[in-house]
Amino acid sequence: MNKQNDNPETFPRLGQILLWVDKKKNVDRIVYALYAICALLFVADFLYHKHTEIKVEEIPGFYALYGFFMCAALVICAKGLRLLLKRPEDYYAPYDTQSEEYPEDQLERIDHDA
Amino acid sequence: MLEQIPTAFLFFAAAIVLFAIPQGRARAALLLVVPVIAALHVWTLPFGVFAQKEFFGFTLDLLRVDKLSRVFALIFTIAAFLGNLYAWHVRDTVQQVAALLYAGSAIGAVFAGDLITLFFYWEGTAIASVFLIWARRTEGAFNTGMRYLVVQIGSGVVLIAGVALIYRETGSIAFELMTLGSLGTWLVFLSFGVKAAFPLLHNWLQDSYSAATVTGTVILSAFTTKLAIYALARGFAGTEILIYIGAIMTLFPIFFAVIENDLRRVLAYSLNNQLGFMVVGIGVGTELALNGTAAHAFAHILYKALLFMSIGAVLYRTGTAKGSELGGLYRTMPLTMIFCVVGAAAISAFPLFSGFVSKSLILSASAHEGHYIVWAILLFASAGVFHHSGIKIPYFAFFAHDSGLRPKEAPRHMLLAMGFAAALSIAIGVFPSNLYALLPYDVEYVPYTTTHVITQLQLLMFSALAFAVLVRTGVYPPELKSVNLDTDWTYRRLIPRVIIGVRKVVSRLWQINSNFWLRRINSAISRLYHSHGPEGRIAQVWPTGSMVLWIAILLGITLIVNFVS
Amino acid sequence: MIVETNTAILLTMLIPAGAMVTNLVFRNRPDLRDGLTLAAAVATFITVLTILSNVGNGTTEPLVMFEVFPGLDLAFNVEPLGLLFAIVASGLWIITHLYGIGYMRGNNEDNHPRFFASFSLAISAVMGIAFASNMFTLFIFYEILTLSTYPLVAHKGTPEAIRGARTYLGILLGTSIGLQLLAVIWTYSITGTLDFTKGGILEGHIAGPAVAVLLALYAFGIGKAALMPFHRWLPAAMVAPTPVSALLHAVAVVKAGVFTMLKVGIYIFGIDFLAESGASEWLMWLAAYSIIAASVVAMTKDNLKARLAYSTISQLSYITLGMALATSMGALGGGMHIAMHAMGKITLFMAAGSIYVATHKTNISQMNGLGKIMPITYGAFFIGALSIIGLPPLGGSWSKWLLIVGAADTQQWVMIGVLMASSLLNVAYLLPIIGRGFFSPLPEGSPTKISESPLLVWLPPAITAFGTIVLFFYAGTLQEFLSPIVSGN
Repeated sequence: MNKQNDNPETFPRLGQILLWVDKKKNVDRIVYALYAICALLFVADFLYHKHTEIKVEEIPGFYALYGFFMCAALVICAKGLRLLLKRPEDYYAPYDTQSEEYPEDQLERIDHDA
Repeated sequence: MLEQIPTAFLFFAAAIVLFAIPQGRARAALLLVVPVIAALHVWTLPFGVFAQKEFFGFTLDLLRVDKLSRVFALIFTIAAFLGNLYAWHVRDTVQQVAALLYAGSAIGAVFAGDLITLFFYWEGTAIASVFLIWARRTEGAFNTGMRYLVVQIGSGVVLIAGVALIYRETGSIAFELMTLGSLGTWLVFLSFGVKAAFPLLHNWLQDSYSAATVTGTVILSAFTTKLAIYALARGFAGTEILIYIGAIMTLFPIFFAVIENDLRRVLAYSLNNQLGFMVVGIGVGTELALNGTAAHAFAHILYKALLFMSIGAVLYRTGTAKGSELGGLYRTMPLTMIFCVVGAAAISAFPLFSGFVSKSLILSASAHEGHYIVWAILLFASAGVFHHSGIKIPYFAFFAHDSGLRPKEAPRHMLLAMGFAAALSIAIGVFPSNLYALLPYDVEYVPYTTTHVITQLQLLMFSALAFAVLVRTGVYPPELKSVNLDTDWTYRRLIPRVIIGVRKVVSRLWQINSNFWLRRINSAISRLYHSHGPEGRIAQVWPTGSMVLWIAILLGITLIVNFVS
Repeated sequence: MIVETNTAILLTMLIPAGAMVTNLVFRNRPDLRDGLTLAAAVATFITVLTILSNVGNGTTEPLVMFEVFPGLDLAFNVEPLGLLFAIVASGLWIITHLYGIGYMRGNNEDNHPRFFASFSLAISAVMGIAFASNMFTLFIFYEILTLSTYPLVAHKGTPEAIRGARTYLGILLGTSIGLQLLAVIWTYSITGTLDFTKGGILEGHIAGPAVAVLLALYAFGIGKAALMPFHRWLPAAMVAPTPVSALLHAVAVVKAGVFTMLKVGIYIFGIDFLAESGASEWLMWLAAYSIIAASVVAMTKDNLKARLAYSTISQLSYITLGMALATSMGALGGGMHIAMHAMGKITLFMAAGSIYVATHKTNISQMNGLGKIMPITYGAFFIGALSIIGLPPLGGSWSKWLLIVGAADTQQWVMIGVLMASSLLNVAYLLPIIGRGFFSPLPEGSPTKISESPLLVWLPPAITAFGTIVLFFYAGTLQEFLSPIVSGN
């Protein structure tokens, strides 16, 4: 952790602008926006004529519900899977999972910016 | 005239010329120029079979150009260009030569009109690509490279065995549509399946793409697997079993991707999942489906390279690609983050991005042919891919909790390469007709309908909603320093242990056995000597004729003793 | 016709024999001695090429030196397989001789005259084997080859070398006198001839299980083919200086073994007779076992030359397998593998020797990172290894292809599996050397700049490595050249 250059002034312009999401309040705003978009999309299903190929597609909000519940199921299943499959990083061999240390000063040295 | 020169040879020639140019910008420029020339060459090639060579009693078709091979060759040249641009800073001759030979072999294989030429290039991709892994120069990368080699060369030897069987059965080595049936065709199918990372044969992919060099993974991600997709599309289009194999392929990697910590490995799992879509398309085998496979391969190479490039840039700047170590990088690497998000949007098939116009061809085709369960699985996998590639990758690398890392923005050439890939991904999404024009069959498909856009947005947004809810309620599994078991456990743990166990037993048995026989032989020899030796009783009645025989036997025994001692 | 073919055949034996004499006469003038031997090597090669240009791939009438018994002559003739063997051995002799000069001088080995004299005599014997027109003649030269190479194996004079040489002589003489001679006598007694004849001589003279027994006497009697379990002599012979291992134990001696095996299979038994009687079925399985088992053993060897020796055992059994498949494709593949394997394996041995000369390292575990300072040696090793594995664009891929096709012809699926597994085992024991050589860090205190071995040591493997590529492109010619051995049976 090199805090010494943790000064927003040194960040690129774009990075400074994006610091907007650093605030808890703004994150909440994004989430609420997401809720709103989802609600709109759900409602939209009733407002146009769906061209469907399969019966289930005709259920209003099918895609929305399918997406939500399948994803939730995915994460929960995966979490269960982790109980079974998780092993320490050096399970197969020491240093197996790479990570040669690149301290930042060394990166400067091998930087061949065009 | 130009059509008599196989495109692959351009790359091979460049790999030799390269040595004459000193390390530096001139050489890096050569690496950029070659794919451009190759792309022009591919583009100007007329359709037909060229560069036929009589060889070892066979007629080898080094250059079979049709719409299917052209679209794959074209995207391979683009991928080679992007990969080499991304690797502009690399001053490692081994990687440069390997990249050229690898891309050349892949393009050569796509243009191969017969199975023997295919085999040559097939093994060529295996050998050349391993250097991109080994060049990482860590102990882990070395071992991964060995495993990768055995699997890849194994795929090649299975291929050549299958080709030999087919050749003896049919007398032909032409690489055309095959029907599964004889052992030969099954072997060829298996060989393609290994490189296409079929379920249970897939683990080399995750193993190696997370171990290669920063730039190597970008190059690796484009060729081997898509070459296998091409080969399947050419050889086994419409083979029903592929539908189910593909469906499983889209399904199982997403579970692993959710709990995987190494982000490049997450991307490898999602690559595996995307291959599943293409395999389903091949299995369905209608014109629409095969178009979908080709289009998806084209789009996929671009956005997958883009994603690997962005995570590669993070790895390059911070030294790690593990979700547990990263986070909050948007502050200092905002451009990389934006490119990553573009790639994520493309792989998730957001409208206006490339995945949207390519993946839907395959989904439509499978629904159209009445494979409803498969369709439902693909839909689930689409949501899942958004979940782990679309959200998880950018979220854990660039947002989530602040890791405190403040690396510099990616080098300019990397940004440029990412910019190209991102621009192409968006361009395909916005103007799909250009891509559709390249596809093997005529396309009558309109991706942008109200139904399609709204349903797709519903699927994606509600997946995002699930993610948001799970993260905010703390249900979402955190990134942990860990590895997850996969099929590689069998050959990294199970088989070595079995071998050690068997060896112990065998050596013990061998010892007992040889002791026993040694004693027997020694006593037999002394008894023989007693009765047949010069002083023995039998010596008195020796007929000369049998003497020769006995000498021979005695010598044989001496030999055995000599051997055992 | 520059020289008459029959004269040329004699010259191929007399020139190396002459080189033996000059080595002993000019024992104190190293440059003259080595120069003359080089001249002899080149002359031998040219003579063999003359024979090639005289007769193409046709066969000639035997040249009878003298008659021992009725129907039993010391006689020579030319046929494609023998000519190929002679070309390979004499051609590689030139390269190995250059390498040998560099190696022996670079390594400060003693007793150069004795070394090069024995070497020349061995080549003379190889020519005798190659051109022998009957089994009797072949047997004589086979034994001369064993005896002439004994001093080469024991060259270093250390207890280890003596012990290795004893095993070498014990197994090779024991098998040849104990089993092969018996088989030769048996064959003579039932057929009244030992001439190598197209289609074989045994058909109609022997039947039933006796065929398999006779084949067993030959197969095990030809100890030089290193069929398991009579393979121990080959690793034991690795105590010899590397040029010996390179030419004799990757090319001349072991190839004399499998060459004899092919001759017996094709000209004594006859491929069709073997196929009909099914007598070679067990040999096929034994060869398959040798291929796999020797590869597995090779994986456990840390000493580079020992690993290569076991690799040779495995590869020799390819050729035996090709014969035992009893199909024309198999026999062709076996014959072609003589040339392909020779070129690949000699490259590997010479590269191993080059590493030894430059660094005095013999164990693979000590060779980390050496590729960076010896790029040419390692590059040659890499190409040679790929050829052994059977990958394009290198010669080894074609002989493997023919063997697979041969196995496919006889529906021997297991044999196809064995050949496939063998390729993967080759990958597993050969390519780590490359990976570690180029990409593992060098140990502390090593030179950082390129420091190759002397020119004469690194150049020969580079040439033979290039040769494996050339062989890939001329494999078609080679196949055409060899095809008479299986046609018209």
